[in-house]
Amino acid sequence: MSEQSTPGTGTRSDVMISLRDVSKRYSGADAEAVRPLSIDIERGEFLVLVGPSGCGKTTTLRMINRLVEPSGGEIWVDGKNATRVDADELRRHIGYVIQQVGLLPHMTIGENVGLVPKLLGWGKDRIRQRVTELLDLVGLDPDTYRSRYPKQLSGGQQQRVGVARALAADPPVMLMDEPFGAIDPITRGHLQDEFLKLQARIRKTIVFVTHDIDEALRLGDRIAIFDENARLAQLATPLEILTNPADDFVRSFIGDGAALRRLALLRVGDLPAVPGVGIRDGVEVEPDETVSAVLEKVLAAGSDSAVVRGRGSLTVQDMLLATAVRDESAVAT
Amino acid sequence: MSFFDYVSANSEIIGFLLLQHLQVVLLAVGFATAISLGVAIGTERLPRVRAALLATSGTILTIPSFALFGLLIPVFGLGVAPTVLALTVYAIFPILRNTVTALETVDGAVIDAATGMGMGSGRRLRIVRLPLAWPVILNGIRVATIMVVAIAAIGAAVRGPGLGELIFRGLSRIGGANALNEALSGVVAIVVVALLLDVLFLLIGKLTTPRGLHV
Repeated sequence: MSEQSTPGTGTRSDVMISLRDVSKRYSGADAEAVRPLSIDIERGEFLVLVGPSGCGKTTTLRMINRLVEPSGGEIWVDGKNATRVDADELRRHIGYVIQQVGLLPHMTIGENVGLVPKLLGWGKDRIRQRVTELLDLVGLDPDTYRSRYPKQLSGGQQQRVGVARALAADPPVMLMDEPFGAIDPITRGHLQDEFLKLQARIRKTIVFVTHDIDEALRLGDRIAIFDENARLAQLATPLEILTNPADDFVRSFIGDGAALRRLALLRVGDLPAVPGVGIRDGVEVEPDETVSAVLEKVLAAGSDSAVVRGRGSLTVQDMLLATAVRDESAVAT
Repeated sequence: MSFFDYVSANSEIIGFLLLQHLQVVLLAVGFATAISLGVAIGTERLPRVRAALLATSGTILTIPSFALFGLLIPVFGLGVAPTVLALTVYAIFPILRNTVTALETVDGAVIDAATGMGMGSGRRLRIVRLPLAWPVILNGIRVATIMVVAIAAIGAAVRGPGLGELIFRGLSRIGGANALNEALSGVVAIVVVALLLDVLFLLIGKLTTPRGLHV
């Protein structure tokens, strides 16, 4: 089989990562750590793997850059059969971010970020320029931080460097294993927001592992929920998962408040608004704001309705009714 | 004759033996370091071989040095060769033990990240593991050196070089003129050598420990 050929079986050219019947059984273990799993991940998609510990989500992630060798099946990355190329070469073109960050403590921040470009044989000036660019990108002043050592940085700053390092050689794919899991909740929220903004600009194909369903709902374009027996329970958009959980496991994993959580995912632009801007007075909002953010603004202003720019107006009740599980309300994806 | 009078009268020979002592110790520790690093790295995928070699080098350490020097005479004769060989054998255990431990205890997350970035095992060893393990390895070398400085004195039993000569000669004619001073000068000189080397290693440690580790 040619490594360059576009694989068959119904895949399209915009598929960046394709897992085909990928499984993992560790020697001596009774059950499979990963059951035969097939997922196509599109170019620029943010896929979150979520589930309780032992569900195989991390193993699945680590099979994509072959830190774990699959027992069966094939993994295609960017049109190449990842299981047949040189593992080190494959990894240099896949960003990798882990919970413990794993910066090399004896190297400066600049050296850490420039590591993969160096492995790829870039020249000194080009690496230096790239490091400056990346530190800027993750919100760390290059002049201040370039020559510091990892120990001199806080956990949140270290993970920013971790993200910068993973992006260094501009890989099309990023694998992230609970990258914000060891960071305090407030900083984690900031990092999640920043990372979403960053992703909107760089459009990487991201596979992201977490055990936190809220993080998954917040970040993912699609979410794959696994149960403790490594079964893929549901693979769908956050809204679809909240609206139509596939089974009891998914329902219990989401926990309470699915309806209210939908408010944080729905955009006001997706709700049926009464046309005619300015008919009612209300708080002016943009169509891409979330319903929960708009509700907050409206209530804080003491108003009872919002005017969505270019769409029309919505009352508080319109917005609250949007949480009701109705098929026609599941519009946004 | 007081001890100090004795030392100043014999400063030339004491100084000469002191240098010899230093040389033989550094030579043995150098060999032992090379062998230990080689064994530690070479047996990374052979845990049983590694365990066996560690146990062997540990056991050798329990052989009284006087006996070991004696046992080497039939094979290597007298002089420098058996002395350096015996000292090398003694120095291996602390260095090997520390090297193995240091390489094994490098933070797993750092190794995982390095592997995930596309560093092969050779690069991981050279760029990541050895630099991070180095302070602990160096400490093993330091312990081995101090230990061997003392044992080297016994080398005089096989006509080996160094300060042991003063001690053995002095003790063999104890009661004679300046016999005690002679033996004592050897002992004091050995302590001086040990202190000098300890300071040297502290300096080396300061200069060679990667900066990021002690910021």
